[in-house]
Amino acid sequence: MIEIKSVTKQFQNETAIDYKDIIFESGKSYMLLGASGCGKSTLLNMIAGIMSPTSGSIIIDGVNMQEKSQKEKDKFRIKSIGYIFQDFKLINDMTVMDNIDILKLEGIDTQNAPKLLSELGILEKKSSKIKHLSGGQKQRVAIARALVKSPEIILADEPTGNLNFAIGEQVIKELVKVSKGKTLIAVTHDERLGIYFDEIIDMNEITSGMKDVISPKEVE
Amino acid sequence: MLKFALKNMAIKKVQVILIVLSIVISAGIGVLAFNVSNQVSDGITENAGYYSAIIGPSGSETQLAMNTMYFAEEPLGTIPYSVVSQLQMDQRVRTVIPFAMADSYNGYNVVGTSSELLIEKELKEGQMLDDNSSLQAVIGYNVAKYNDLKVGDVIYTSHSANSAETHTQGITIRGILRETHSSYDNVVFTQIRTLWQMHEHAEEGHEGHSHATVCAILVKTKNDAYAGQIVSEYDDKIVTDEHNETHTLQAIVPMNAVRGVLNDANNTKYIVYVLCAIILIMNIMVISIITLLNMYHSSKEISLMRLIGISMGKINLLYIIQNSIIGLASTVLAFGVSRLCLIFMSDFVSNYGVVLNMGKVYIFELIILLGVFIISVLPTAIWTLAVSKKDSIAD
Repeated sequence: MIEIKSVTKQFQNETAIDYKDIIFESGKSYMLLGASGCGKSTLLNMIAGIMSPTSGSIIIDGVNMQEKSQKEKDKFRIKSIGYIFQDFKLINDMTVMDNIDILKLEGIDTQNAPKLLSELGILEKKSSKIKHLSGGQKQRVAIARALVKSPEIILADEPTGNLNFAIGEQVIKELVKVSKGKTLIAVTHDERLGIYFDEIIDMNEITSGMKDVISPKEVE
Repeated sequence: MLKFALKNMAIKKVQVILIVLSIVISAGIGVLAFNVSNQVSDGITENAGYYSAIIGPSGSETQLAMNTMYFAEEPLGTIPYSVVSQLQMDQRVRTVIPFAMADSYNGYNVVGTSSELLIEKELKEGQMLDDNSSLQAVIGYNVAKYNDLKVGDVIYTSHSANSAETHTQGITIRGILRETHSSYDNVVFTQIRTLWQMHEHAEEGHEGHSHATVCAILVKTKNDAYAGQIVSEYDDKIVTDEHNETHTLQAIVPMNAVRGVLNDANNTKYIVYVLCAIILIMNIMVISIITLLNMYHSSKEISLMRLIGISMGKINLLYIIQNSIIGLASTVLAFGVSRLCLIFMSDFVSNYGVVLNMGKVYIFELIILLGVFIISVLPTAIWTLAVSKKDSIAD
């Protein structure tokens, strides 16, 4: 379970985000909706330990992440969090497998990669360089890299941001499918994709304090 | 880690090749210059130390030494053969070798001497000179190779390299020397009396060459003290030949004569060292600039790795391994290139009777290579340290 408790984040003395309590239950999938600039990505970065909140706390499975050093946060991220970045964060001149095998630097077993690539429909591209792939294929590689270590938590920042709706929808379907049983938190601005998630959280409302959680049905 | 480092290097091959080339050129030149200059100095000193004294006509000491030891330059003139006879009777002297350089065969010098001059040389085929005979020759390896000569062939020499007119008497090849990679490969050796015959000197038996001449006399004494005595006795000595013509002799210790040459060579060596140092400094700058220019690219890569959870320690190690591989490969290549260049340099320095040994490694060469290796790794080590202090994730 991930608990966000009164988290604020300031950039150059200006409060960028100010959230009331949010709880993400283990094994559920969440879609974070919200206009750009409302702090959706910042929240993911704070959960991943890439950023620290200015105040408040992020508690994961009973452990307050603010009490951990950067080194411990890094260890936690590499072991327990699969992060899918909006701009993929792939090395363009390397192959698909090399981009996944980069995790071996931290002792992560990547034997599961071909199976994942197969489930995502890009196994035949495993020896292709990233620069020769389409946006949708790159997104699938990013998903495979995030999931290869079987993380408990999957964070996806605008996983469909660079894709058209049809491909984006396909990617989300696959993401939800391969993330089954894990905690999936995906940031997106496309409400139409909400039907694939267990819960939808409108970050604008969280920030303003109007509502905590809204259901997929409400979006429909 | 190593596998990933190699893959990461492969995607930056242009940068890697540039750095490797830069290091190979600078380190290779440095090591080659040091090795050649030292091997030449050692070789010249060794050759010069072989004879205790050289006696010849007065004139340039260096010319006398170069002419008799390396068959280079023109002889200073001639002195009466009687001096040879006189030395042969001297109890302090172990070996006396007459030396005359005259005539040419297809551009190769013809040297009249005795078999003693070639005593340490090995024959590829045939036999050594017979001192009691004449009109025989033992030829150097290149003379045989480039003129397609074999034992038993008869050659006709001319007065000079430019002269088309040859002597009427032929010289029979008795032996061919093994390749020495020295000036001996390019010489036709014959008995001294062959040269006299060719030049219509009298051939009256060993003791009777009163008007026969030689260009120089190579002397080995029984000890160094005797060498000093012989040199002081014969230097500036005036001798008279059968025609009552006077000849002023000079006697030199070859080691002293080549020391002057070596001093000049040392000055050249220092200039080469300075040039090498400049090349090295320029290359440190080039390596550093290439590293800095790629900083942006690598910074993105580091930031990417950090975001997916790779620790800064692992990233630093990755880059240090990469540059160590580049540094190691470059220094090994530089060493290999310098050894290959020794082969090409060998022909050049063989004129000084020096055979360059590819296997000869000086400690200072290893120090140069170690220094280059450190220099090649240092910019990255400093840079990764600086980047890790500004961790993209820390906030």
